[in-house]
Amino acid sequence: MIGNNFKIAVRQLLKNKLFSFINIIGLSLGLAVCIVVALFVQREYSVDAMHTRNIYRLDEVQKFEGMVAPQKVALSMFPMGPGLQSDFPEVLNYTRVIQSEKMPLGYKAKKIIVPSFMWVDSTFFRMFDFPLLKGNPQTVLNGSGDAVISESMAKKVFGNEDPIGRMVSWYGGDSTEFIVRGIMKDVPETSHLQMDMVASIPREVKADYAGSWGGNWLVTYLELSDKANTGKLEAQFPAFLKKHLDERAAKQYELFLQPLKDVHSNSTDITHDYVNYQKFDKSNTYAFIIIALIVLGIACMNFVNLSTARSLSRAKEVGIRKTIGAARLQLAQQFIQESLLFTAIAMLLALLIAGLFLPYLNTLSGYRISYAALFKPLPLCLLFLGTILVGLVSGAYPAFYLSSFRPSKVLKGSLKTGKHKSFGRNVLVVSQFAGANVLIIATVFVIRQLNFMQTTNPHFNKDQVIAIKCRENSGRKYMELKHEFLKSPDIAYVTGSFQRLGNNLHQTGIRFKGLGEERSVAISHIRVDRDFLKLYDIKVKAGRDFRESDHRQGFLINETMAKEILKDTPEAPIEKLLGTPFGYEGQQKLGTIVGITEDFNFNSFHHQVEGLTISYADSMPFTEVSVKVAGNKVQEALTFMQSSWKTLVPDVAFEYTFLDEDFANLYKADAQLSKIVGILSGIAVAIAALGLFGLATYATEKRVKEIGVRKVFGASAHSIALLLNRDFLKPVLLASLIAWPIAWMILRTWLTNFAFRIELNVWVFLATALLASLIALVTVSARSLRAAWANPVSSLRTE
Amino acid sequence: MIALNHIYKYVNQGGTRVFLLRDISLNIAQGEFISIMGPSGSGKTTLLNVMGMLDEADEGEYLFLDQPVKALKEKQRSALYKQHIGFVFQAYHLIDELTVYENIETPLLYKDYKSSERSAMVCEMLDKFNMVAKKDLFPHQLSGGQQQLVGIARAIVSKPTLLLADEPTGNLNSQQGQEIMELFKKLNSEGLTIIQVTHSEKNAAYGSRIINLSDGRIEN
Repeated sequence: MIGNNFKIAVRQLLKNKLFSFINIIGLSLGLAVCIVVALFVQREYSVDAMHTRNIYRLDEVQKFEGMVAPQKVALSMFPMGPGLQSDFPEVLNYTRVIQSEKMPLGYKAKKIIVPSFMWVDSTFFRMFDFPLLKGNPQTVLNGSGDAVISESMAKKVFGNEDPIGRMVSWYGGDSTEFIVRGIMKDVPETSHLQMDMVASIPREVKADYAGSWGGNWLVTYLELSDKANTGKLEAQFPAFLKKHLDERAAKQYELFLQPLKDVHSNSTDITHDYVNYQKFDKSNTYAFIIIALIVLGIACMNFVNLSTARSLSRAKEVGIRKTIGAARLQLAQQFIQESLLFTAIAMLLALLIAGLFLPYLNTLSGYRISYAALFKPLPLCLLFLGTILVGLVSGAYPAFYLSSFRPSKVLKGSLKTGKHKSFGRNVLVVSQFAGANVLIIATVFVIRQLNFMQTTNPHFNKDQVIAIKCRENSGRKYMELKHEFLKSPDIAYVTGSFQRLGNNLHQTGIRFKGLGEERSVAISHIRVDRDFLKLYDIKVKAGRDFRESDHRQGFLINETMAKEILKDTPEAPIEKLLGTPFGYEGQQKLGTIVGITEDFNFNSFHHQVEGLTISYADSMPFTEVSVKVAGNKVQEALTFMQSSWKTLVPDVAFEYTFLDEDFANLYKADAQLSKIVGILSGIAVAIAALGLFGLATYATEKRVKEIGVRKVFGASAHSIALLLNRDFLKPVLLASLIAWPIAWMILRTWLTNFAFRIELNVWVFLATALLASLIALVTVSARSLRAAWANPVSSLRTE
Repeated sequence: MIALNHIYKYVNQGGTRVFLLRDISLNIAQGEFISIMGPSGSGKTTLLNVMGMLDEADEGEYLFLDQPVKALKEKQRSALYKQHIGFVFQAYHLIDELTVYENIETPLLYKDYKSSERSAMVCEMLDKFNMVAKKDLFPHQLSGGQQQLVGIARAIVSKPTLLLADEPTGNLNSQQGQEIMELFKKLNSEGLTIIQVTHSEKNAAYGSRIINLSDGRIEN
């Protein structure tokens, strides 16, 4: 029986080419999307899954005075780890992580940049299960300055020598020395901690910072006992803070514990999160799952719709089979088997499509998702079960419906498929197009938001700016470098700073005497060279730009900061603040405010503009150099700078990026999202349109005689096309109406991620409805016009 | 074998009740060859469908092999049907996607015969009807007469006791029709009960008894 059914299914498939084509293409696209998304999801869930211990990251909520809003940060204080371990028995272990990117490492005459280096506590390998090829995880980092190096980094540094016991140094800067005690396997891509080398924090550093409560500049991980109750533990943290900090400072912090598995996927609202490789919001992952299921759902609905729409052609067969003894269940089984065959073919095709699409997704996401991961027992099992599930879901109703025909009716050729029978089909068409519509609307707004962020004026000019990273050695030569660079006719400005724009700028304590009492707040700050504002074209609203005499004494603040200072007297003009005493918390003698700048978006448009202090100090080595290229000769400017760099700081690599690219990177996740949503909604629309085309084909076939009669009695081709199109336009328009509120709610929620966001314009919703109708119209017209133009004689003669 | 007592069948059309069968009472014994005649719309096919359990009477009693059909459960009725009844149609109603061999085999699939039994039974039929050479052809590759032979082979392959034929020669020329009738006669002589609906006096004459229907009533 099964073999026989299979044979019939194959013949049906070959006989009804349009039907087979639409269903197989639709299902295979839907399944391919699901496979790719499943691979993606599997990859997301595998992040940090290798660690077996009960590890939490210690995070802070900072509520400094002067902040626009409290912020969650992934930072903690140096003495917190040891303090928590000694105060709470549930805390079994702690390790701190201080990351240093692009660390220059020297071994004998070799100089190599280590992309990611971390200072950690000796417990690091006891807590995290990064496998060691050499060295005992319990003891490998026990000595001050003991280091573990990754397998591939070891090869680069030591070649064929055995690295164990060898001494390497941090060249440039203070030339700290390390002894390699172990080799770890290269860290997999699915780890939020990415490092090529770790070293235990030196004894002297531990001694120096043991009492350093107040500075947040590292990450702390805690290992808790299995029975630990995190809620109870967190409840005791305020008391812990009060014990170690003064009362005012204790109020500014809250501590919370973040499970290790949440660090990668649930940290979007956590800022200053520097040690978190490729973090990805899990709500985006959920969105992908939902969209993939919608696409698959649309394809399944095509199957249901087309199977029932062409029931006329199967009705006779059902009648015959019943008269020769088929039970309804046996027929249902036959139809289910047919849909299983369709799904199986679609699945094979889907595997092919997924294989072709995966490299693109990898480029887009920067992930290395392997296609081969599919061909393992568990995923293969899931694919098999998925095929059966999809086959059953899409085949169940058609099987139920088709097997219900009564032979005495259908063999007479009087199967009535009247208006009420197509109601169910219309419901499905409405759902398909509603789903597709939501996706189109979402795509439009996601792209608009992305576009908005990339084109809105940030109130400073980042074009033609080259950002150069400085190390201690090169930073010390800043003045000479600037002097040299400016000799080039292609370079307009050179300036230095301690941080790069496009980040959360660090916060620091500020003391000032506004119009009233003296106050202290903690706000973002940046130390810059004198011509910083000129290079970035930042406008001064009141007062003036820096002068030579402002060195360490004159301060610029932004408008938000000015408003914060004036919050008790909002009617006072900001000019009143010029000349008021202002300075860093630890400063002996306060300086003064010399100017107030326009608010500019030093961070991405996801964030509000925070209050900002800009100070002028070139006596300390800068870590960032910005170079403004004059005109368009970027390449010439770069060549010139490289050669000057080589003569002045030959032992440090010349690392540069273009600042506008840095900013584009801030929106990378949004750009990825918009591309993926765009592609998926395109696929969804295509599948829905294919289905509609199929339905239109069967509908016109069924009405061929009616059309003939109408034409004989004088109907024009135009009026007949209208008649046929109307039936399909109605559900598509209804779908738009249903899609609008759904899309509106989803997008409103999504847009709360952005401090600067677009409006949800009504015209986009209207335009989408128009677009969907247009797609439906074009699809259906392809069929209806052909029917309308056909010669009625031929269609009537066949009767 | 068949006993119909006061069978009525009707449909409601816009408030008025249209009778398809009125007060039909009929007894048919095993081994009979019945021809049902009558003008178009007289209820011949409806009567055949009721006797073949494809349709149900609205009133009256139907006993098939002494079992009350109406009172039977769906499963029992279907079992009774499968075991005893074969159908032949005017338009042959072969399954277009299946070959001659597969068409004949299909009823056996539904009756759960083993594969070896099936092939033996189908081959016997092919042999009997001289169609061995055509077993791999599809219906559209056969002439009407040949298609009807396949239809009959399919109807009797599982050895039913009753063959119901709805104008089996209606789409055939007179020579092909005659061959089919000869075949029916032969099958009847081998013990098969046959009830056929026909328009043709000549074909009706092959039967052992003729029943005339008019407006859903038996005329006699």
